[in-house]
Order: sequence, then C-alpha cells, then structure tokens
Amino acid sequence: MTLSSWLKILRIYMALQTDGIVLKNERIKPLYFLLTIYCPPIADGIKAGQFIMLKVSENFSPLLRRPFSVYKSYPSSHPEKKKRGVLFILYRIVGKGTQKMTEFKKGQKVNMIGPLGNGFSLPPLPSSTPIILIGGGIGVVSLYSLAEILGSHYLYVFIGGRTKDDLLCEEDFKKLNTLKIFIATEDGSLGYKGTVIDLFLTQKKSFKRSQFQYIYSCGPVGMLKELAKAVKSKGVVCQASFEARMGCGFGACWGCVVKTNDLNTPYQRVCKEGPVFNLKNILWE
Amino acid sequence: MNSIRNPDLSVTIGKIQLKNPVMVASGTFGFGEEYDDFFDLHQLGAILSKGISLKPMMGNPPPRIFETEGGILNSIGLQNPGFQNFINNKLPYYKKIKTHLIINFFGHTQREYIDLARRFDGVPGISGLEMNISCPNVKRGGIVFGSDPKMVYKLVREVRKVTKLTLIIKLSPNVTDIALIAKSVEEGGADAVSLINTIKAMAVNIHSRKPELGNMIGGLSGPAIKPIALRMVWEVSQRVKIPVIGMGGIMKAEDAIEFILVGASAIQIGTANLINPRTGVDVINGIKKYLIQNKIESVQKLTGLFKTY
Repeated sequence: MTLSSWLKILRIYMALQTDGIVLKNERIKPLYFLLTIYCPPIADGIKAGQFIMLKVSENFSPLLRRPFSVYKSYPSSHPEKKKRGVLFILYRIVGKGTQKMTEFKKGQKVNMIGPLGNGFSLPPLPSSTPIILIGGGIGVVSLYSLAEILGSHYLYVFIGGRTKDDLLCEEDFKKLNTLKIFIATEDGSLGYKGTVIDLFLTQKKSFKRSQFQYIYSCGPVGMLKELAKAVKSKGVVCQASFEARMGCGFGACWGCVVKTNDLNTPYQRVCKEGPVFNLKNILWE
Repeated sequence: MNSIRNPDLSVTIGKIQLKNPVMVASGTFGFGEEYDDFFDLHQLGAILSKGISLKPMMGNPPPRIFETEGGILNSIGLQNPGFQNFINNKLPYYKKIKTHLIINFFGHTQREYIDLARRFDGVPGISGLEMNISCPNVKRGGIVFGSDPKMVYKLVREVRKVTKLTLIIKLSPNVTDIALIAKSVEEGGADAVSLINTIKAMAVNIHSRKPELGNMIGGLSGPAIKPIALRMVWEVSQRVKIPVIGMGGIMKAEDAIEFILVGASAIQIGTANLINPRTGVDVINGIKKYLIQNKIESVQKLTGLFKTY
C-alpha cells in the first residue's frame, strides 16, 4: 500500500479542520434550511450519527462553532459525479448562529471540524428484525442518515414535531424499507396530537416481541427522558443520540456532558463519548 | 537599522526556557490529546494541563456552558480524574510532545495544595506547576484562597517549600486589588503569576426563568473580558518583578501583542482554542511577523514596550 492510501485510512479516524464550499443554501420549510457543502475530506469519513462543528461567521459573533449532524453525505468515490464529496446539512433557525447561516451564499467558504463523536452502531441482529426509529424535531435528520445504511431491516418510523411544519424527512423514509410512518405534532396540525413519545406509547402494545427489540432515537433531552421511562422495564435496546450545547465539539472543554452510570466518570461528554449513548446507561435527575 | 529576519521568541519563566511565549490555558486544552488531530503540539511554548486535584472530581451538573455576547460562561466544576489517574492515564500522552508541560492544580485546603505540589515534584515529564487559587478554602468557611492577601502569602510560602519546580500562581480577577494579591504571591516566593482566571458571572433565561447554568454562577471568558484582563495585567506588571503571564480573551496575535506590550512576558490562549484549535500556532506566527515588521529583535524586548502619554 502506498503512503497516501494509508493516510487516507488513517484520516477516517481523525477529525479535520477544513474549509468546505457552499453549493446551495435554500429554505425548504418556513423555519428550515438545507445547506449543501462540497467538502470531500469530511464527506469521505463521516458516519451516521457523527457530527461536524461549523464556524458560522468570520468574526467572533457568534463566538462558538455550532454542531450539526449530517443529513446526507456522499464520498468522493460516489458513482454520480455531481454528488461526489458533498454533504447535506438540514438546520432549523433557532438562534443567532443559525439565523446567520441563512446568509450563506453559493461559493462561500465555511470552516468545519469533523467528523466528530461516536455515531450509531448497526444492530447486532438478523436483517429480518424490524427496527424502530423515534425522532423529534431536527433529530429526525440524524435518524434518516442511519436508516440509509440499515439495509434490509424493516423500519417503523416515528416522526414528531411542534407543528406540521416541523415534520422532517417523511418522504425520504418512504423511499427506504419503511413499513409504517407514525406522525405526531404537539399542536395537532397533522397526525396524532401530542409528543412523539405519547404516540409511541399508544402504539407500543401493538408491537410483537420480535418487532420490539431495537430502537434508535434522536431528539431533545426531554424527549429522550420520556423514552427512557417508556422502555425501562423492557429488554429492548435503545441507542439514543443526544443534543447538547457544546463548547468545542472535540472533547476539550467538558461543557456538553450527560450523567451516566459510569462509576469512574459519571459525567460523559456528548461530543466525545457520545453523541450516541445506550439509553439504559443514562442517569436522569 | 538592520532588518530582523529571525526574531528571538524565547522567554524564561522561572527555570523553564520556552521556545516562544505562547501557552495554551488550563481547562481549554483538555489533556492535550484532544488537539492531536489538528496540529503538531510541539510548536507551542508550553501546554497547561487541565486542573488536577488530589481526588477525582465529577464536576457540576449540566448545563455547563452558555454563550454570551463575545464570551462564554462556564461552570465545568473542575471535573478531573484526580492525581493518580492523571499520572497513570494522561501523563504518558503529554510526555510524547516535545514541549513543556505545566501542571495546573488546586486543593480544597492548604494541606491538599501542599500535598499535591509535593507529589508532582520530581515526576518526570513535568516542567512546572500553575497553582489555581480561585478555589474556596473549606477550612475557612469557603472564602476563596486567592481573595485574601495573607492567606495567599502563607499558601504560596508553604507550597514553595515542597517543590523545586517552577511555580506559577494563577490569579483570580474576582478581587478588589489584584496587584496586591500578586505582591503577596511574589513575597511568598513564586516564580511567576498568570492572570486572569475567569470572571464570575451569570445568565438567566426569561422563558424558563431559570439560570442558563446548572450551577447558577459560572466563569466568563472570551473576547468580552479582554479589556479587563489587559488592565489587570498592566496593574500587576507595575507592582511585581517576577514574570507575568497574561491571558483573557486572546483570539489572535494582535491581542497577544497588547498583553505583552503592557508587561506580560508570556501569554496563554484559552477560549480561542475551542473555536480554532490552531490558534496557538497562528499567534506564534503573528508575533514573529510583528517583531520583523517593527524591527524588534526579540519578544523579550517587546515586554513592557508600552508608551504612556
């Protein structure tokens, strides 16, 4: 093997600080944008559930980078030339940082650090086992990137949002091995009125034991807490991806911790040991 | 005047000869290894460890971090694995880097400070100690060590007795007269002072009506605090003869140069590491460029080269 191919393998396990080029930045829903970035070094290495830290502005306003999971990514070896080395980031306008991002223009450079964190691991189950995905708000995006690599597993997908304008990726999931999509909105503007966990609870009993073995989830901490309660007594495994305010994103500042049952280090970093944790290891206070 | 091609960036702090005046601040640089992906750490003048205590500390409940205008509010709570785990699991990585390692440490009682300093003394691979005195003294009703000149003097004097390592005292800005504290540090026999630690601050969410930090109060860092830090470095430099290490919101070389001009012999990068992991290297290059452009042959000559009206 040549040195450069070794380096390429090595790079997959490394986080890089690098510039990407904005190809597109378009509004897809009232509060949501889809950002397309050309960045082969990160697109080549990133896995489902990992994230990037994006520098929003050239000056220091806002000061910190912002974390984003990746919606879709295509390695530089992708057969379709147009897709090679391209990352898609779906973001909701929530504050100063994401507001500023809406001003990103085609051709502009954006500085990124990634891939970061430990993503989802594939279920150690036969491909005949169905998988349950439960996503709230922007968390659905990260579950979609996982669903793309779940291959022949059948999927039950729960999608939740505040209103019908906060429901993401429904059409995407339809193109995969999805058996059924369950929709919940907090205001009742579409589907079940309530949270996605409320909806999941109403459906839980209808799953057979064989269909209720493995759950992947991503969403706000409050949602994950409710999910933990809902699956507590069952033997079901739940990999949950956490959202947290982050300082650095690469493990240096210890700002983004969650409390776990680890005896030596109860507070573990969402950015480093996470963002995906086994839900049964989380301690809720 | 002759042109300067290769200005001398070396500085001396106590017994430590640094190749350049740029260090990375404790708590913002993890245990070094988190930065390994981004650049060759040996380029730095020195690396400060995360703060180490005698026993492991689990830190504060989240949320631990909140961004304010031009600043970061944090209450990590000095989470660290404790002395023995640090020696066993974290020190081996630092030893691989060809630059100075300075251990940041703290205690909850004077005895704990002395005990830790003694334990670090003689550990191979450690160049110096930076003592964090912004901690409450549990034996004295929680009064912060660094806020009482007499307590500071006594603590420094006792710690000085048990270590031959270069001893730097990191000062808290949450005091009435920081120069007075610095004077006590000097009289106690320390080799240098570093300042400033974070400024006590808080933030409130009007929707939840809760504080933005789990611990309610945290420490403010970043560009927002630079003017305060600069003033304090200037005041301390006027009062002590030992080297002053400046920090507080340094984001780029120009900021570092300001600190050096008002009297700092060296500087530390803190918050900026979190945003641009390579800030340290950018600052080193920027200082070098400034010296060349201004025909100043060494960074030591830049220290205190501040003009007054």
